[in-house]
Amino acid sequence: MKMSVRKHLGAAMLAALCTTSFIAPSFAETLKFVSWQKDEKGYGDWWGEVIKAFEAKHPGVTVEWTKVERNAYADTMTTLFAGGQPPQIVHLASFEFQAFAENGWLENLDPWIEKSGIDMTGWAGQETCRWNDETACIMMLYFGFVMGYNQEILDAEGLTVPTNWEEFLDVARKTTKDLNGDGIIDQFGTGHETRGGGGQYLTEMLNYILDAGGSWTDAEGNVTIDTPEMVEGLTRWKTVISENLSPRDMTAGDVRKLFADGKIALKLEGPWLYPIMEQGAAFEKLKLTKPPFTPPNGGSSNVLAMASEIPDEQKELVWDFIATAMSPEFQSRYATVANSTPPSATADISGAEEAVPHFDLLVETQKAAAAAKVDRIPAGLEINFNEFAKMVMEEAQRMIIEDLDPAAVAATMQEKAEAIQSY
Amino acid sequence: MPRIPSLDLARPSRQHWLGYILLVPAVLLVALIIVYPLIVSLDLSFQQVKLARLDAPRKAFTLANYERLFSSRDFWMACWVTLKLTVIVTSACLVMGLGTALLVNNRFKGRNLARLAVALPWAVPEVIATVIFAWIFDSSFGLMNWLFIRLGLANGMINWFSDPTAAFWVVAITMIWKGYPFVSIMALAGLQSIPSDFYSAAKVDGANAFQRFRYITLPSLMPVLGVTLVLVVLWVFRDFSIVKVLTDGGPLKATQTLSIMTYNEAFGFFNFGYASAIGIVTLIICVATSLLMLGRETKSMY
Repeated sequence: MKMSVRKHLGAAMLAALCTTSFIAPSFAETLKFVSWQKDEKGYGDWWGEVIKAFEAKHPGVTVEWTKVERNAYADTMTTLFAGGQPPQIVHLASFEFQAFAENGWLENLDPWIEKSGIDMTGWAGQETCRWNDETACIMMLYFGFVMGYNQEILDAEGLTVPTNWEEFLDVARKTTKDLNGDGIIDQFGTGHETRGGGGQYLTEMLNYILDAGGSWTDAEGNVTIDTPEMVEGLTRWKTVISENLSPRDMTAGDVRKLFADGKIALKLEGPWLYPIMEQGAAFEKLKLTKPPFTPPNGGSSNVLAMASEIPDEQKELVWDFIATAMSPEFQSRYATVANSTPPSATADISGAEEAVPHFDLLVETQKAAAAAKVDRIPAGLEINFNEFAKMVMEEAQRMIIEDLDPAAVAATMQEKAEAIQSY
Repeated sequence: MPRIPSLDLARPSRQHWLGYILLVPAVLLVALIIVYPLIVSLDLSFQQVKLARLDAPRKAFTLANYERLFSSRDFWMACWVTLKLTVIVTSACLVMGLGTALLVNNRFKGRNLARLAVALPWAVPEVIATVIFAWIFDSSFGLMNWLFIRLGLANGMINWFSDPTAAFWVVAITMIWKGYPFVSIMALAGLQSIPSDFYSAAKVDGANAFQRFRYITLPSLMPVLGVTLVLVVLWVFRDFSIVKVLTDGGPLKATQTLSIMTYNEAFGFFNFGYASAIGIVTLIICVATSLLMLGRETKSMY
């Protein structure tokens, strides 16, 4: 009898163990999702909603959402992939996914899109996600720049909102001031990041280059830096920086904060400026309008992808996560929660202007940038973008530090860009 | 039943075996976390690899990375920057560290507080110290610009991080501030181990303060200073966070050390093969420098 009880208990335990181990994978699945946007007001909130909806749809499946700072992002992701432990849900900047796709680390999403029947027509910036004739990712944001301005600063100088480069320069010069006479400039005409990564530096320069009619490369990927338009663009950049119309050696975050606190008159920025403005001390004095430059700066921002070397059942889940983010519901929520233009052409954004007063402006600049095929990632230099951006930043810095002729700098950049392209 | 041979560690001829056996886990651990990555890195440096992966098939053997490295202006410039930084920071750390150690070795009121103040920078985490210095030298709103203008040392704002010379000195000053307390602590420990009889005898012989320092303090401290010097040199050589946070190697590569160059090539440009080649050359330089310095240090001892 004693043995029998023991046997029964043993059998029950074995059965319980087997049941648990069979059920466990479907109930205790954890998908890793690494992102730099966690905790960001707007985008972070939107991702949070997507995760919540996905987890509600898949009981027992958890999305382990981890934040990695943007400046450590590429190293972290590279290490995770190289070590064979990639996050299943892959979030990358649109200028860095190419290296991962080239290495075969990202799943081809074409069969998944086809199977789900999602219509990708008009999905903003999606062509950037094509790599080696495959869809390596889904574009999560394609944006156009807007211009923030401080009404109080302009009024104090009797100035109006600039509508072209000459007016912009005039306003920037007249509003750059040492207000308390201590020899230190404490109010700037405009603000750009001049410290940090090459990618951001390149984006800041692009405001002036696009308006001057220049571009880094043409549609076929040929380098087109040594042109009169590019020389004009470089001259404008040199003017703004060397005349100290922008605070020097600041990161993008610091410059945005300065604008939000009322220390900068004009700020060219993406849709993410508004949530930062809301938190600033000068919010009541700040307004948004379309940039004085044509076409407006803009382009692709970040992408969502799937790690290629994960089990098939996880791929199903990851695709469902991506599909949730792409769903009409969450594309609409992108407008109201993330304050940004959703990439989906069919997203219902009616009423978004009630939640985001300047939403029409965002749509207008996004469309203008898309129509002009603006992107900060030059065609033909995608895989070497970081190296190219670093080279451009250094040559532009040299131009300012050593007071070089922009025409000579353009020629040097052309030569170096072609060398990078040939690696 | 076959008899399993036993290992009789009590036998006098095998007593040293126990030592080796106890060392095995540590040796294996070191091999795993140091030697293995080193071998992988060496292997990668002879391949043209963009993004490395351990389970990827090995690519063809090539010397292309080393050929590119030795013909690269950037590499020689990084060597020059590293050398300049090493010499300046090490010398300054040595002078300041030894000076403060001699100071706080004397008896005076508040000596413990002074010792604490000297050692404080060592206790501050490197990244925090670097961020503080970044704010102090901020080109637009930094304390240093305000001070320079107030004292009449500058007419306008100095762009500390946009000027190659200024940026280099900002990095060097931050490193010196962070590094000198280590020399100070080591030297203080060394000073306290010098028997006071040496000084008493020298005084009887009529040696003045400088002579006592030159012929007693300095030679007695040489074993400590020698090792400290090697450690400081290696720290400056491989330090990454100070340069990364302050300047990221810029402007115009004026602060790009070999460590920063390695990092940028690996994680910025995804050239793992090339980055490994830089890492291997850096390692060789470090080992050669250490051997050279340790060799000299032993000769300087009494």
